[in-house]
Amino acid sequence: MNLIKRYWLTALASIVALVVFVTPFIFIILMAVKDRQQAALRDMSWPINFQLVENFLAVVQARDYMLITAYINSTILTVGSVTILVIVASMVGFVLQRHPTKWTPVVEFFVMAGLMIPPAVVPTIWLLQGIGLFKTLHGMILIEVAYNMSFAVILYRQFVATIPREMDEAAIIDGAKPLDVFFRVVFPMMWPVTVTNIVVQSVGIFNDFVNPLYYLPGRGNETVQLTLYSFQSQFNTQYNLLFMDILLVTIPPLLVFLFFNRQIVAGLSAGAIKG
Amino acid sequence: MAGLNLKNLYKSFGAVEVIKGVDLDIDHGEFVVFVGPSGCGKSTLLRMIAGLENITEGELFIGETLCNNVEPRDRGIAMVFQSYALYPHMTVYDNIGFGLKLARAPKEERDRKVREAARMLQLEPLLDRKPGQLSGGQRQRVAIGRAIVRQPEVFLFDEPLSNLDAALRVSMRQELTKLHHDLDATMIYVTHDQVEAMTMADKIVVLNGGVVQQVGAPIDLYQDPANLFVAGFIGSPKMNFIEVTAKTVGKGEVLVQSDVIGEISVPLNSDRVKTGDKLTLGIRPHALSRSDDGPFSGQVELVERLGNETVVNFTLSNGSAWMAVLDGDEPLKLGSEVRFSADVGAICLFDAAERRIR
Repeated sequence: MNLIKRYWLTALASIVALVVFVTPFIFIILMAVKDRQQAALRDMSWPINFQLVENFLAVVQARDYMLITAYINSTILTVGSVTILVIVASMVGFVLQRHPTKWTPVVEFFVMAGLMIPPAVVPTIWLLQGIGLFKTLHGMILIEVAYNMSFAVILYRQFVATIPREMDEAAIIDGAKPLDVFFRVVFPMMWPVTVTNIVVQSVGIFNDFVNPLYYLPGRGNETVQLTLYSFQSQFNTQYNLLFMDILLVTIPPLLVFLFFNRQIVAGLSAGAIKG
Repeated sequence: MAGLNLKNLYKSFGAVEVIKGVDLDIDHGEFVVFVGPSGCGKSTLLRMIAGLENITEGELFIGETLCNNVEPRDRGIAMVFQSYALYPHMTVYDNIGFGLKLARAPKEERDRKVREAARMLQLEPLLDRKPGQLSGGQRQRVAIGRAIVRQPEVFLFDEPLSNLDAALRVSMRQELTKLHHDLDATMIYVTHDQVEAMTMADKIVVLNGGVVQQVGAPIDLYQDPANLFVAGFIGSPKMNFIEVTAKTVGKGEVLVQSDVIGEISVPLNSDRVKTGDKLTLGIRPHALSRSDDGPFSGQVELVERLGNETVVNFTLSNGSAWMAVLDGDEPLKLGSEVRFSADVGAICLFDAAERRIR
């Protein structure tokens, strides 16, 4: 009795969390292995025919192996933009925190503006067309870098504040030039927040649906999230394949989260305690 | 072989002037200690020598070279920081060898120098560890190793022992003195701890408010302070002061008078004192001894019985807090009246401008 008295709220919260977070995922898995007729009912029933392999092959082979192309595109997009983001944002964060000048407030204003002002799609497309980057993967990489730069810079800047300035000075006395100070001493010390940035940004960019939809149209340019469209149309939606596709594109970010969960929390809260 | 020569150095941060015209000569091989209260500019002066702060005005020579605009790495200096500032992601070996790596020293030479420094500092068993796995004293030694391995002309220490516990501080102090002897290099050491200053220095530079108050050997500063500040700062417990008036000025002695202590005749050969001058009388706690007809009387506030000596805090009738250090054990009651006499030869007099009258 005592146990129930003490833990009933915990138990209730666990059950609610389970229903809210796990049910949709179970629904995805069940739908993904059903046959076409049963999937069209869109209910929470147990699959009559298990069509795991058939559905999987159908999704992969659809539209001339579009999913494979999409995976390659998404990987290039994610790795490329996260790499640029980490290198550039860490440098910006470092300089903003360490070497304040009269321009620092201006840069900070732009960083905050980048967080708050929503991007304008049409002018961006117009600009991309003007410089020949529309419908190209590297253009898309630059877009993702630009959209996510503010958040990354803020994370890095907070973290640099926790690294004692004496570290930089010790390196300078040891004979380090500015780039050595950054890349050999400060950057390795920023590892926790770098992990946070890599995880948060790569999941966000990998899962991005809207931006590739606007800025990266065209055959052969699909990213994984856009493949969802090929199983859904106004008159004819193959729900079993759609959910199999959802399952396939959800797995990579999920793995990243499972592996790096601990570091993400560490990095997010690292800047919070001091500075 | 390098001494240092500071000529009229100034440093200001915006409108705030921190270093106000420091002139200093440091010979090769000297162990110089900068000492002073917090905010006196001692660390800033050290950082100017290191090249971490720009010099606003004046000239800094290290050896024969004018170093005002020379990069820190080219000044032939090494610095040990208060927080050690070890690179946490590198092993002890890499921490010590980092400077050599940046200087692109050949691998064998680097290895030899790192191991030699590690041997000197008894760090050999720890070379593969990260700084996080070391104790405070070990980290301190790694920081010193990082300085030694660069074979600098001048070592700079910025309060290196203030993060250590008392026992370790004493032993590190001895190790540093020994190291100075072994390396025969110039060392500049910043501290606010005057025990460190007294025990380690060849020469102490007392700073206050960005101005050098006095430069000299530790014992000279103790016995012969140049002004009120140095007299109060050097020596522990600090010197007792009281305001007095010169009543009669005789040949070789001055009779000073105050309501609190009555009249005392102080031996003095100086023509700077005139009758009626306002003076400050200073006497060290160790120069006081108990005596029933002594001039200094007060009420006992606190007694610290250490066995070999007794530290007595007492207040004079005008309310100023004095201290006396008595030999042996003196069981005094709190609140009781005590009288002390002083060795008149140990009394210092200061004029209204706080300068010592000699």
